[in-house]
Amino acid sequence: MAITRRQFITRTGVAAAGSFLGSGLFRNPLLRQALADTIGDRYFVVLFLDGGNDGLNTITPADNVGGLRTAYNAARNTGSGGLQLAPGSLLVPTSPAMKDPNTGAQLGFHPGLQGLKNLYDQGQVAVIQGCGYPNYNTSHEVSRSIWQVADPLGAAGYGTGWMGRYLAANYTGSQIPGVCVRGEVAREFVQYTTSVLAIEQLKDFGFPYDDFLSGDEQAKRDAFSAIYGQAKAATDPLFKYVGDSGSAMLTASESYPPLHNDYHKDRKSFEDAYNAVGRSTARDLLEIAKVIYGVKRGVPNVNARFFEISNGGYDTHSDQGGAETDGQQYGLHKEVGDSLQVFFNDLQDMGVASKTCVMVWSEFSRRIEQNDNGTDHGSQGPMFVIGGAVHGGVYGNHPNIADLDGDGNTKYSQDTANGFRSTDLRDVYGTILKHWLGMTNPSAVLPVDGGDPKTRWTAPSYDMGFL
Amino acid sequence: MGDENSVLTRSEARHLLRRTGFGADPRQLDHLVLRGSTRGEVVDNLLDFDPKKFKPRGKQIEDVHNKWVKYMVRTKYQLQEKLVLFWHDHFATGNAKVNNAELMTNQNLLFRLNCKGNFKDLVKAVNKDAAMMEYLDTVRNSKNQPNENYAREVEELFTLGVKDSAGNANYTQADIVQIARAFTGWDYDDDGLATFDSGRHDYANKYPARGPKVIYTTVGQFGSGGRSFTVNGEGEPEIDTVIDIIFDHRDTNSHNTVARHIGGKLISYFAFPSPPLSLTDAVIADSGFDTSFDINSFLRALFVRDEFYANADDPVSVKWPVDYVVSTLNLLRMKLKSKYQYVDGGDGAAIRDQLLNMGQVLLDPPSVFGWDWETAWISSATLLARCSFTRDATAARAGGGTSLRPEKLIDLTLTDPGDVVDAVADRLGVNLTATERSILINYLTDNHPNTPVDLNDPDTRDGKLHGLFGLILQSPAYQLH
Repeated sequence: MAITRRQFITRTGVAAAGSFLGSGLFRNPLLRQALADTIGDRYFVVLFLDGGNDGLNTITPADNVGGLRTAYNAARNTGSGGLQLAPGSLLVPTSPAMKDPNTGAQLGFHPGLQGLKNLYDQGQVAVIQGCGYPNYNTSHEVSRSIWQVADPLGAAGYGTGWMGRYLAANYTGSQIPGVCVRGEVAREFVQYTTSVLAIEQLKDFGFPYDDFLSGDEQAKRDAFSAIYGQAKAATDPLFKYVGDSGSAMLTASESYPPLHNDYHKDRKSFEDAYNAVGRSTARDLLEIAKVIYGVKRGVPNVNARFFEISNGGYDTHSDQGGAETDGQQYGLHKEVGDSLQVFFNDLQDMGVASKTCVMVWSEFSRRIEQNDNGTDHGSQGPMFVIGGAVHGGVYGNHPNIADLDGDGNTKYSQDTANGFRSTDLRDVYGTILKHWLGMTNPSAVLPVDGGDPKTRWTAPSYDMGFL
Repeated sequence: MGDENSVLTRSEARHLLRRTGFGADPRQLDHLVLRGSTRGEVVDNLLDFDPKKFKPRGKQIEDVHNKWVKYMVRTKYQLQEKLVLFWHDHFATGNAKVNNAELMTNQNLLFRLNCKGNFKDLVKAVNKDAAMMEYLDTVRNSKNQPNENYAREVEELFTLGVKDSAGNANYTQADIVQIARAFTGWDYDDDGLATFDSGRHDYANKYPARGPKVIYTTVGQFGSGGRSFTVNGEGEPEIDTVIDIIFDHRDTNSHNTVARHIGGKLISYFAFPSPPLSLTDAVIADSGFDTSFDINSFLRALFVRDEFYANADDPVSVKWPVDYVVSTLNLLRMKLKSKYQYVDGGDGAAIRDQLLNMGQVLLDPPSVFGWDWETAWISSATLLARCSFTRDATAARAGGGTSLRPEKLIDLTLTDPGDVVDAVADRLGVNLTATERSILINYLTDNHPNTPVDLNDPDTRDGKLHGLFGLILQSPAYQLH
């Protein structure tokens, strides 16, 4: 056997410190526990609209107060291939009203978003307009990564996700605070300190033992656990990562699959409601509901508080569709709205609707002017924060669609004298970290820009008011 | 310092074969070492093939997928398939949108025939590939309102990259808009062959407001005049001219941008993640890749360098799921059966379902970026899927049926538990740590590490020995290569 790096590290126990840890502040275990206690019994869910959701046909000007509608009508065609949503087709909330804070324009939801509008009417939806970051990028991958890492100018050189840095500061390697309902860990959860599961279906998550030799199952489990346990203790980041993943997988493979049957047995009517929506967003939220139901009942080794799901199909370069019910974007909006409504009905019944906060984002919005029958990549767009404890209403300004940059996209601005000032995604994250997750100084995980305060994010505002 | 005349050590030979193929058979390694083969000899031998005309035909995309995997398992030309996989990921095209198994099959052949030829020719061929034209909307790119989808990705992903090594943008939005015009008017016929319709093409004199068909006035070191892509004629020639210009693009260090971007990616794929720029530049200099764009020369230059062998004993790259599956089948000397299962009977799901759970359905990458590599391959879900696959591959069946035949793989007369563990680890190409070795000895002997084992005893062989194979295949070290 050759002497390998892994052996060398194992034998000498060299501690290669630091590069994967958060700031020194968070290495204090007492502080870590105090922060974890602040979260209490809250849950946080991230829903990613993958591909670049067309924000202009999500939250749409319904009247011409301030002139937004004129600009909208000029950018979005009527007739065949046209994407223009007529004012009468929009779902316009009245109580609470949904008005752009800057222009005073009445805003409406896309007609596919009836489910979300219902939640809005119950005061549980914060619509946060004009969300983006300086030097916006129109590459899916680059922009998605910027949203997930939350280091738009690359100043901090972070390789971890924004939520990952929070988790690393608050949880240890033996805990499993997060679950991504997908095959891989979403980038905003990436870190190297604690364990985030990736699970597609709880019921299929049992460990695959073979049953040929009776009595050997325990021996296999012990060996597997020991091998992954030593990798978990490695200082080499890659081995530690694989070790953490496998160890968490083994633990969860024993505690998570039964959650499926428990839920199925106890909450059949809600399960039916998710299945009636019949789309992946509903199915993924159902998996989260099963975990929350387990956490709430105190099932051992089930302690996840942070979840992530995504829905694809938003890259509507062609055949985007307008208000017609068979359109592409209509179908996507209906799926998300209806699924969220079922999810919150379920949470309400479980008594945790006010303990749960869902954040919806997309990597960019789309070009203001449509192409033949779709839209190309754009810049700032709306986010949603939803939950029983959310202060419903409109936050942030509608982007100025009458004043576009040379590429035909709305401009990012932090100029306080500009009525169309953008919402930096870090203000949204920071408000969640501070007011939902009890972090006193979100700047510890969110890098603040230097430079021109009109075009850079130099003055954080972690008190946006929606939480 | 070594070079092409360096004699390969056994572990270097193992590294070379598993990185250029799917698993290294210990007998082949022993043979190479016995002959005293040099790096240059073995690499030349690996690269000495004419691309095969193999096409994974099938009416359904699932058949195409499984036939391709089956071909990977049985082909003598593993490097060819490693390259087809690379190009499939690089020029990621998904049947979820294309929805045409025949077009995906044609594209698969295109990648095979061009797998180690001229990269510029490959990009030009991909421009006109029907599946790609569907996937990135070239067929929906109209002169009235040009669609930027392909124009963006041909620069961002296929050739230049978003930024150069100094962090400067390689292209602007204005360049995307102009290049999108070059791709207007293209479609494909019933045979899947590209066609050009001048009536759908965006001609400059019809749209004066869109400006001249000039790109890279601020990037690429072309000077403030940029480059016109109508110099070879307007209309049909434009899409080739655009590619010619892109391949002349120089980054802010005055190096060929395409060569650095693709060269670095090839090194990441075959050697280790995030190679230093100095290595990429050295391999380009050794091979002339920045003028010839000859993939074969680049690979030869890479595979004889010391840096390629630096991690031979200490793998630092995560195996792709398809590599994990095909390597495992090769190392266990198993084949895919007619139903694309790897075991007899009903337990083993077809190979596509297995790969789905591991996060890599071929011919359906998650997006135009292809798959995320390295640690993104590893999660609790994908590890569980890998364990499930190896459980199926190694577990003995009740009633005596078994697909794994350990007597073909190791010497069953071994009795020392440590020797048995070492033999299985060597068969599977894993360097065990001392801790891992003792854990596995304890497993094999039920915590009686000093007691000899009898591998000809059916329970020991079909239970413990099969289990030992499974545990090593499931271990962290085997996930890497």
